[in-house]
Amino acid sequence: MNADERRQIVLALFARRRRAGLALGVGELLAALDAIAGGWGAKSDEALKQVIQLLWCKSAEERREFDVVWEAVLPLFADSGRDTGPMPPVDEPPTPPHHHEPLEASPPSAGENLPPTTAEPSKPGWGTLPVRAAYKPVTTDEAADFHAYGPVSRRAMAYAWRYLRRPVADGPQDVLDVKATVSLAARQGYYLRPVYRRRERNHAHLLLLLDQNGSMTPFHRFNRDIVETARYDSRIEQVNVVYFHNVFADHVYLDPHLTSPTPLTGALSPCDETSSLLIVSDAGAARGYRNLTRIRRTAEFLAQLKRASSMVAWLNPMPQERWAGSSAEMIARFVPMYPLDPEGLGNAVDVLRGQKIHIDI
Amino acid sequence: MSDPNSTRYVFREDPQTEPKSSHEDAPETPEPYVASKALIQAVNLAIYLRRPLLLEGEAGCGKTRLAHAVAYELGLPFYRWDVRSTSKAQEGLYTYDAILRLHDVQVQQHGLEIAANGDGGQRDPSKPKDYRRFGPLGKAFRVEDVPAVVLIDEIDKADLDFPNDLLAVLDDPWSFEIPETNETISIPPDRQDLRPIVIITSNKEKGNLPDPFLRRCIYFFLKFPDDQLQEIVEEHYRVSEKPTPDDKLLKTAIERFLAIRQDTGLYKKPGTSEFLDWIEALRGFAPLDPTPPPLTADGTPPYPSLLFKLRADWQQYVKGHPPTP
Repeated sequence: MNADERRQIVLALFARRRRAGLALGVGELLAALDAIAGGWGAKSDEALKQVIQLLWCKSAEERREFDVVWEAVLPLFADSGRDTGPMPPVDEPPTPPHHHEPLEASPPSAGENLPPTTAEPSKPGWGTLPVRAAYKPVTTDEAADFHAYGPVSRRAMAYAWRYLRRPVADGPQDVLDVKATVSLAARQGYYLRPVYRRRERNHAHLLLLLDQNGSMTPFHRFNRDIVETARYDSRIEQVNVVYFHNVFADHVYLDPHLTSPTPLTGALSPCDETSSLLIVSDAGAARGYRNLTRIRRTAEFLAQLKRASSMVAWLNPMPQERWAGSSAEMIARFVPMYPLDPEGLGNAVDVLRGQKIHIDI
Repeated sequence: MSDPNSTRYVFREDPQTEPKSSHEDAPETPEPYVASKALIQAVNLAIYLRRPLLLEGEAGCGKTRLAHAVAYELGLPFYRWDVRSTSKAQEGLYTYDAILRLHDVQVQQHGLEIAANGDGGQRDPSKPKDYRRFGPLGKAFRVEDVPAVVLIDEIDKADLDFPNDLLAVLDDPWSFEIPETNETISIPPDRQDLRPIVIITSNKEKGNLPDPFLRRCIYFFLKFPDDQLQEIVEEHYRVSEKPTPDDKLLKTAIERFLAIRQDTGLYKKPGTSEFLDWIEALRGFAPLDPTPPPLTADGTPPYPSLLFKLRADWQQYVKGHPPTP
């Protein structure tokens, strides 16, 4: 396989990976082409594959996916060039005859034994490969269990929480103020001591109200991620979490298994006008119910919440298209409700920090 | 772009090759390291493209040691940057001691002698450059004639923004500014070969690294070297010039160790470093021990304190500790 052909393979692989939705950029493509121009992956197909994997695959999962694509793309560029049975998306058919010869004449790179052995398996491979490729996706499906699930990654959550801040300079007085130190020394005429400022601390308070069980069961994982990232991966000073089931009652629960009830008024007592309140619930959108009792109860509760703080937002794990016709559509009129995706989360955090004032319609 | 003939630095992972000429900041002690072919290729590709090499893998598999081995073999200056939770990207480049400068001005005004630096250098408050100190990356940018090897250890410990801040430096145009001294430290565009060789390790402590960062890196996942343990042990004893453990002991120990590692019930699997300590204990310490514990295929492994670092694992393997009711 010569350098030109390797380039073609890289381009075809790149096109496929892009179409599969992988975030590969021109930078990666250029890096791969650069490596090939430098003689990388010239020894064998396997070497070429390894080089591209090193550059493009950022997890074990992606490597496995790449294996499948590689198996599918490589036969299109096989050296035998007898008939181009499978339809390649790239205009390759004319090239193989030209490159048959360079392969035979490439012993300096790999020794005498290698060219026949690499050419041999590719010939019978022609017929069987599409069949083998059909089996592979099953293994990747299994691997997808370990994939980042759902629309919002933990990292995205941690990023979003960072915008939720109310910095107050009341920390330890250990931040050196160089400018003030210099100007003080200039005014006094001598340098006595450095000027320190107090460290800023985030005094944000977040109350999470999470719907648990029932139609929310598939989203428990998100609930857990939201709680964990808010508690441990953010700088929010105080995070309170309460759980409820479907509608707010006089009691909410302190644990996700809904076993330790606490009065709702008690749960709201730490809130003041600077607290942020985030509700996570499908509001009936998951099953598509429109339940008037639920809407009424929720509206009453929201009115109660808004007496505590105006910074109330609602995250709905169901996509917005599914709200129509369900209770969620109605409830979304009382409170800013956003779908649980990176954008929706960002919008919700904007509301939680008082950036957007929601006007009741 | 890069000239293929300019690959002067090729890592062969052959510790026999003593570097012909070492930079003064290059590691002086050889690093016993046994790398797989794929890893060697990854290192060389990273050197060739001068992209950061991101190593992930379980603890104790030699992620950190690799950079040392590369720097030693190639005789290149080696700078290590241990990332902490409070690390900022700028600290890797430089820090500026404004207070010391102010202090020196006062000292000078009173006609006193300014104390010398640790290295004997004299500071002059009228020269701002005397008060900047370069971090590992900053030093790597300033090395002349040869590229430097920079190890950024445990990058995932730092703040979320850290990897992205780093990217801004490790990419074209390979330069950074020091506003305090009005300097721009850069690698000349015509000397691409001077760009540092950056090796980054991560444990995925806080989830995935940001995408733009990953895209810039060459990614390699280090597996536990199951079938290379013997080689690793031999390499270590060859370099450290200690008497090698005899073959029979080594074989039994490797078998036992691998069996322990294959136990899926373990909460924390012992890594290569634990294994090397354990072998050394079996070789060097057991003869001094008045009651050397036997190394058998089952039962309590000798010196379990070197292998099991969690109470649950300990209880599972060590019989009678603590006595079960």
